[in-house]
Amino acid sequence: MTVEAASPAARALDRAQILRQRRRQALSQAARTVVTVAVALAVGFAITVAVSDRPALAFRALLTGPVSSLSRVGTWIEDATTLTLLGLAIAVVFRARQFSLLAEGQLYLGALAAGIVGLHLPLPGGLHLTAGLAAAALAGFAFGLVPGALKAIYNANEIVSTLMLNVVAVRLYDLLLTYWLKPPTAGYTWSDPLLPSAILPRLAGTRINAAAALALAMVAAVWVLLYRTPWGYELRMVGANPHFARYGGIPTRRVIVLSMALSGIPAGLAGAHLVMGVHQRLILNISLGLAFEGIVVALMAGNHPLLVPVTALAYSYLRIGGDIMERTAAVGSDIVRIIQATIILLITAQLTRVRRVRRDTGDDR
Amino acid sequence: MTIGDVLASIASVTFVAGVLRVATPILLPALGGLISDLAGVINIALEGTMLAAAFTGVAVSALTQNAWAGLAGALAVSALVSLILGFAHLHLRADLILAGIAVNFLASGGTVFALYSLTGDKGTSSRLASLTMPYVHVPVLRDLPVLGPVLSGQNLLVYVAFAMVAVVWVFLYRTVAGTHLRAVGSNPDAAATAGIDVRRTRYLALVYSGLLAGLGGAHMSMGYLQLFQRDMTAGRGFIALAAVFLGGRHPVGTLLAALLFGAADALATQLGSLRIPPQYVQMIPYLVTVAALVVYGAARQRAAGRRQRAMANRLVRTEAGG
Amino acid sequence: MRGITKVYPNGVVANDRVTLTVEAGEVHGLVGENGAGKTTLMKILYGMEQPTAGRIHLRGKPVAIRTPHVAIGLGIGMVHQNFMLVPEFTVADNVVLGYEPARRGFVDRARAVEVTRDLSRRYGLAVEPLARVDTVPVGVRQRVEILKTLYRGAEILILDEPTAVLTPQETADLFRAIRTLVDQGKTVIFITHKLREVLAVADRITVMRDGRVVGAVPARDATEETLAQMMVGRKVVLTVDRPPARPGPPILQVRDLTCVTEAGHRALRGVSFDVRAGEIFGIAGVEGNGQTELVEILTGLRPATSGQVLLNGAPLSNRSPREVRRRGTGHIPEDRLRNGVALEASIADNLIVDRYFAPPYARGPLLDQGVVRRTAEELIATFDIRAPDDQVPVGALSGGNMQKVVLARELSSRPRLLVAAQPTRGIDIGATEFVHRLLVRQRDAGTAVLLVSADLTEVMALSDRLAVMHAGEIVAVFDDPRVLTEDEVGLYMVGVKRARPADRASGPVPQERQP
Repeated sequence: MTVEAASPAARALDRAQILRQRRRQALSQAARTVVTVAVALAVGFAITVAVSDRPALAFRALLTGPVSSLSRVGTWIEDATTLTLLGLAIAVVFRARQFSLLAEGQLYLGALAAGIVGLHLPLPGGLHLTAGLAAAALAGFAFGLVPGALKAIYNANEIVSTLMLNVVAVRLYDLLLTYWLKPPTAGYTWSDPLLPSAILPRLAGTRINAAAALALAMVAAVWVLLYRTPWGYELRMVGANPHFARYGGIPTRRVIVLSMALSGIPAGLAGAHLVMGVHQRLILNISLGLAFEGIVVALMAGNHPLLVPVTALAYSYLRIGGDIMERTAAVGSDIVRIIQATIILLITAQLTRVRRVRRDTGDDR
Repeated sequence: MTIGDVLASIASVTFVAGVLRVATPILLPALGGLISDLAGVINIALEGTMLAAAFTGVAVSALTQNAWAGLAGALAVSALVSLILGFAHLHLRADLILAGIAVNFLASGGTVFALYSLTGDKGTSSRLASLTMPYVHVPVLRDLPVLGPVLSGQNLLVYVAFAMVAVVWVFLYRTVAGTHLRAVGSNPDAAATAGIDVRRTRYLALVYSGLLAGLGGAHMSMGYLQLFQRDMTAGRGFIALAAVFLGGRHPVGTLLAALLFGAADALATQLGSLRIPPQYVQMIPYLVTVAALVVYGAARQRAAGRRQRAMANRLVRTEAGG
Repeated sequence: MRGITKVYPNGVVANDRVTLTVEAGEVHGLVGENGAGKTTLMKILYGMEQPTAGRIHLRGKPVAIRTPHVAIGLGIGMVHQNFMLVPEFTVADNVVLGYEPARRGFVDRARAVEVTRDLSRRYGLAVEPLARVDTVPVGVRQRVEILKTLYRGAEILILDEPTAVLTPQETADLFRAIRTLVDQGKTVIFITHKLREVLAVADRITVMRDGRVVGAVPARDATEETLAQMMVGRKVVLTVDRPPARPGPPILQVRDLTCVTEAGHRALRGVSFDVRAGEIFGIAGVEGNGQTELVEILTGLRPATSGQVLLNGAPLSNRSPREVRRRGTGHIPEDRLRNGVALEASIADNLIVDRYFAPPYARGPLLDQGVVRRTAEELIATFDIRAPDDQVPVGALSGGNMQKVVLARELSSRPRLLVAAQPTRGIDIGATEFVHRLLVRQRDAGTAVLLVSADLTEVMALSDRLAVMHAGEIVAVFDDPRVLTEDEVGLYMVGVKRARPADRASGPVPQERQP
């Protein structure tokens, strides 16, 4: 390269060329994604053929089940709501390149907080809902401070500490549910139904509840936070290069702590959604590793908040389709897991490849 | 039982023997996790690998009525699972963590499906007449006064686990293959320019890692318990990863971390007899780990501070003296 | 190598029908600006990249070099610009890496140490075989790299920018070692963009520009000027045009600064100096003699163990980087990729890291994207950063353009003190000139400039006053660096000479000393 100022014409040429190249890449990426999804579905079909007496019926259930009736659409949206919230939680911490896996624990404590408010704090109508959601968000936030502070102060590896704290949260939930919230006469380990004023209103005739709108609002909020506030800027820079962030004057420790805590807000709300919307009471094993599905959702969205609801909808479609397949065609949920795993593998392989190609374009000679 | 009884039982040999037993299915996958981590490929699929091995061990031993065949089957399946993970990451370039999660899904779904196909039961393998690995009464150890009952009479795989600590250490730090493996993990470019095949080394690391996790899985269903249950590994693959980090990415540290988890777990069981809700005691090992992380971090900071202060003091003294 | 062409998948033509002939037993210089295609060509020769077209002949026979392994087998060794060493391994382990002496799969450590010692003695490359590589200085690491290639039986050694991190003395040592190698029958390909060095060491020189070979000349027929013209395609000025400084009052005052690192190393042992407004105060020295720690303390990245730093008369030591910046410090970091930029973030994001939190960029709780992007576009134009727009990730830019992003940010904040550490490392002649002009312009605007550089030519050409650091101390301060020669300064740098204490006092202490 030469270093004298380039002529305006040369600069314009550079610019046009790069923009053209970007367009070309976007197109080929879209084409490859379509092919990958097709291949993934074909593999899924092959597995179904191998295990089912009526593979066509089974596979139709998987592919069209979630939209085959209004109530199933409702179930799909309901599930996608939880996954969107969890995906957002993961996207926030992963953006700061903090590998906190605390979303599961934050979900449990959020569920617990929302449940306690919903059962034992009688408040008038809208206020009760707000209090339940706020309690859940607060619980998730506060719990996130723990591994955040441990890392910022003691340099404690967050993968380890969050895995450990998750178990602690789940056991605490079990403990309080079993010994305090469960009515002595209940046959199952669950609480009474929440007070009616603490139950999220549903859209007529479906399971879609107000949390769906809340999740979309959170998508917007996280996007604004990350891309339109100084605070989100700090978080993205710490994630992009922590040395650069510190050099530039960003208080990196505070960012680390807050990223883990803030990601607890959507995670806690996911717990509130399960308690106040889906089950309308506290139940044992309310999540069983949903946060891992949140990781899949977030990573497939490239940790971009606006893509999270899209990948959540796609992923939930597969989950609900699998449930329907199990019920209508007696293909087990275990098979569905296998198909899910295959599709995740193929799609992530595809996505990583695209990102790598994009990075390589900037290769210095 | 009173607290006194519990304290007495903790000091007892059965307790210590219990710790070794409980630590084994953490130690083996942790050593596996260590190998892959040092090669620069973190193995999130330890959990799924263990599960697949646990099932295969039961199924093959029941079908062949040969425990060794069961173990061989478990190891073969572990290697296969690791190859799938390696293929997804190293050839298809899938994100390693996502691929690991997918492999865990695959193992969780696959084992239940296979169990159901084989027995018609989706929960446990109790209808299968599966075998266990032999329990070993070591002639010399058995006769030792106090240690005898602790050290002797354990399942063969418990001994294998502890022997593996030494094997892994020698492999990593004394052999050519282990040296290449660490070089690949530390600076893959340097390894590549030295003519080391980075991809091949990482494949091998994942396979070794899988085999160790597979031993742990086999212990779960053919020693620790005598049957397979769905999702029976219950997060041990992840605890094992925690042990790797807690142990400072070194075999001996990993052993100590695994023993810590084992001790806490065994303690939880003992305390359970005091009519304390089991959830309390089940939290203990995890809280202990968090505490250990804090202590470890604080100690390192203090040590660094001490070194700095000591040097600074010496500096002041020499300047005052000179 | 005949007609080598390399086109990257993204359409970049790195080598365009390049033909390079290297004769046995010679030192062949390969010069050209960064991005001229030298490194790509050598990566092809070493099997790390495959040519799109063209052929390689070795000793008259055509060869296909598909992997570094093949290259090593053919007796080709390469010392990379970024060292390819395993930090946790010992020197000996690194030397034998990939080809360890072994008995039944077990590494024979004693033998590794022995062969390292032998090679070290035979070629005059002193190393301690049992030292861990991450604890030895850069110059030694480079020797380890060379020993590594020799151990693998290299007959042709490719050295990629080997002097970028060396002192004049270390460079002289390296050149002697290169001569020893050639005397013992080896062939050396020496890649650089430093013309003086290539003239000093090479027998023949090939010049590359924009992916093509411009010409090959015997070294004795070439001069710096002719080579520079071939490289850049125009006349370049090799000296810095610098009117005399008009220094004002001291801006930065450093008193008795000491620093002990976390590892317990005494990096600074009582450093004192002043930097005045409107002057460039240069610090020369071999890397690793405390400069890095000094810069880190001055910019808030590291606490001082004792001593004082005053900026405009107010204490500054042990403040946060943000506080240090708020008081008017700009910082061009020595490790651009580590501290200076976030590669995956956009140019705009990289330009605002020191100001995003204050108006007009921050408005209430929000970041005003309009202002951010307008500022970014302005800076891109002013500093001639080559990029299609402000949203391009910085990682997509060349080294020179990345450095312009850093300069744009650090200079546009109108600092009173500018700390510039190794500001031209790894960038080409044109961009270096640009950086030098900017530093002088900044000085003339009244900024106190502290220039820390391991490039002695640079620091001597730019500094109004020059200090030399050795072993954590300032061993000399010169008021007129123009009268010095590089060799003279070099003797201070390695600690052979030191000025009398009176010569290095730097003004009265402004306040009572801390006990």
